[in-house]
Amino acid sequence: MPAQRGFDWLDPSIARAAARARSDFSRRQFLEGAVFTGASALAPAGAFAKPASGGGVASPAADPAAGQASAPNPVVKNFSGQYGTDAVPDFEAPKRPMGKTGVQVSILGVGGYHLGTASGQQEANNMVAKALDHGINFFDNAWEYHKGLSEERLGAALKGKRDRAIVMTKVCTHGRKKDLAMKMLEESLTRLQADHLDVWQIHEVVYYNDPERIYAPDGAIEALAAAKQQGKVRFVGFTGHKNPSIHLEMIERGFPFDTVQMPINPFDANFRSFQSLVVPVAVQKGMAVLSMKSMSGSGEPIVHGALTPTEALSYAMSVPGVSTTISGMDSMEVLDQNLKILHEFQPLDEKQMAELRGHAKQFSDGRYELFKSTVKYDGELGREQHQFPTAEKLPA
Amino acid sequence: MAPGAIPLRHFGKTDARVSVLGLGGHHLGAAADEQTAVEIVHRAMDGGVTFFDCCWEYNRGKSEDWLGKGLKGRRDEVFLMTKVCTHGRDGALALEMLEQSLRRLQTDHLDLWQIHGVSFPNDPELFIRPGGAAEALLKAKKDGKVNCLGFTGHKDPDLHLAMLATGFPFDAVQMPLNPFDANFMSFEQKVLPELNKRGIAPIGMKPIGGHGEPVQQGVFTAEELLRYAMSLPVAVTITGISEPTILEQNLKVAQGFTPLSESAMQVLRERAKPYAGDGHFELYKTSIKFDNPEARLAHDFPLDMQQVEVKQMMYATQNSGRPYPQVTDSPGV
Repeated sequence: MPAQRGFDWLDPSIARAAARARSDFSRRQFLEGAVFTGASALAPAGAFAKPASGGGVASPAADPAAGQASAPNPVVKNFSGQYGTDAVPDFEAPKRPMGKTGVQVSILGVGGYHLGTASGQQEANNMVAKALDHGINFFDNAWEYHKGLSEERLGAALKGKRDRAIVMTKVCTHGRKKDLAMKMLEESLTRLQADHLDVWQIHEVVYYNDPERIYAPDGAIEALAAAKQQGKVRFVGFTGHKNPSIHLEMIERGFPFDTVQMPINPFDANFRSFQSLVVPVAVQKGMAVLSMKSMSGSGEPIVHGALTPTEALSYAMSVPGVSTTISGMDSMEVLDQNLKILHEFQPLDEKQMAELRGHAKQFSDGRYELFKSTVKYDGELGREQHQFPTAEKLPA
Repeated sequence: MAPGAIPLRHFGKTDARVSVLGLGGHHLGAAADEQTAVEIVHRAMDGGVTFFDCCWEYNRGKSEDWLGKGLKGRRDEVFLMTKVCTHGRDGALALEMLEQSLRRLQTDHLDLWQIHGVSFPNDPELFIRPGGAAEALLKAKKDGKVNCLGFTGHKDPDLHLAMLATGFPFDAVQMPLNPFDANFMSFEQKVLPELNKRGIAPIGMKPIGGHGEPVQQGVFTAEELLRYAMSLPVAVTITGISEPTILEQNLKVAQGFTPLSESAMQVLRERAKPYAGDGHFELYKTSIKFDNPEARLAHDFPLDMQQVEVKQMMYATQNSGRPYPQVTDSPGV
């Protein structure tokens, strides 16, 4: 039943390896224990043996329940030589307009959560410097990532380089009031060693009562407007991974967001699709679309051989309307892999993208987008602030 | 209407009229024993319930078997529905299941035959494809074995809309309706108005959230939730009952029932809102625990027995996970 599609736009040997991996899905292996073992040949177990640590609340990497795949962006070693150990060539990442902001943003951005799981400050410094040297200028973060460590690491790594970067962080009121948001903003600025942010977004808009709470009098929306008016942030937006309906309600309530962040990958097109339902609305309103979870948040489709990193990033970076694709990278090795993919990147045409979506359709039960259907990717801080039961009290 | 009788409502555009309260087939199969189940059916009929729900796969056939025994000799007094469980498989299988359902229910026709468990994004296209279950539904209607056609699902209102968008002439559509739903992935907001517009009979289910957690936790009383669901513009609200005492309570609410005012309903929606943001009282919409292992198998979706979700699903269901047709332990068939 699963389609064996032609991937003629890839190197033929890669296409063959990918097809081999995919054929594992076409067998009925139900009820026989580890259903995915057959696909692991592409991804040596060692590549995923590095569990993310840290006290962050908003990533599956901090959640042992997230299963065997815990690298945001797994390194695929010796994959037909494509991501070999050669040095990354010198090149400049392509840039695109960031919505109507007038800012030019690199098509790949560095995710902030996983800067906090990198081995230490030195590695974070080296990664940020190398990214900047290749023209990557977008840096994501959030107030709550690793209890502030992610912001501190980014702030230190950008010391003296702040002007070359588009710095984004997120505010984590989770339904609480404006004054708390403004306090969080000051904390973020201090940790980031900056006097202003380029983008400030409301974090984790994932609950059906979030839009109402965010738009309530004295709510987070007022904080966005005030911070912008005070010159502390240039642009504002929101982010979430749960359901396109929630994003649409946030937009329909009328605040003129500059940016909006959402999951974009070939699986999304077949399951509660942000790409089909939210991107056109955001684009029509001139909002910059920031994509995330190109590899499903924890890299499971890469581990299982359902998608290669090249396919995943290429897809997200090719979706019309997407300004930048935020990718979690927790080591120089992963950054190097992404830079090599970026160096070779040719935007996919509509036919190539449709092929990837067609391939992804066999997984349309949502198993590679668990952030949309399960509590696994919802931060405990957010659940607590909404007075919802903790994730461990609910079934998976 | 006699005082104290359960009100009847029109069933969509059809000539049929059904009681506003219906008896759920899944819980019937969870009654203490066959005799209790038969008693529940008799007592429900005596109390004015005319709508009876069931499903080919509930309790591996036990539900249909017990319901058939309860209805024996009184089949013509009721509006009988059961569901077919192809889960995307072909129309020929659907017709085999229909014959099995009719045998178990001891009848020669159904008043309503529905597609069970529309849960996955590819269900609409599997249903409507050439050779798919849609053809079986039309054939069964043409052959006079069923009067009305419908589908049901508890997962995602957008999937229901996609089923409607196939253009198939459904007479009825079943969905979860309760004050939490009004605030979370809402069938009430997205699907119900569309059904009313098209004259399709809406069937509400899970009025108290499927397993009654909101009642157990004191958020609402069962009566409040039942009244809310029955006050919506639906033809019937199905409640699952496996104990005679619960039946008596529900009959009391339904007998002489008059709908709540819109403002009273809004109060209930507002009370549900703080709990509905993450859907934790409607886990059938989100958690794989409430999926059906056999539906996953039929779709070629994996059941990885190492996954905690799959373990919960297998524990929660009485189905064994064995695909059709290896069904040998179904009583009475």
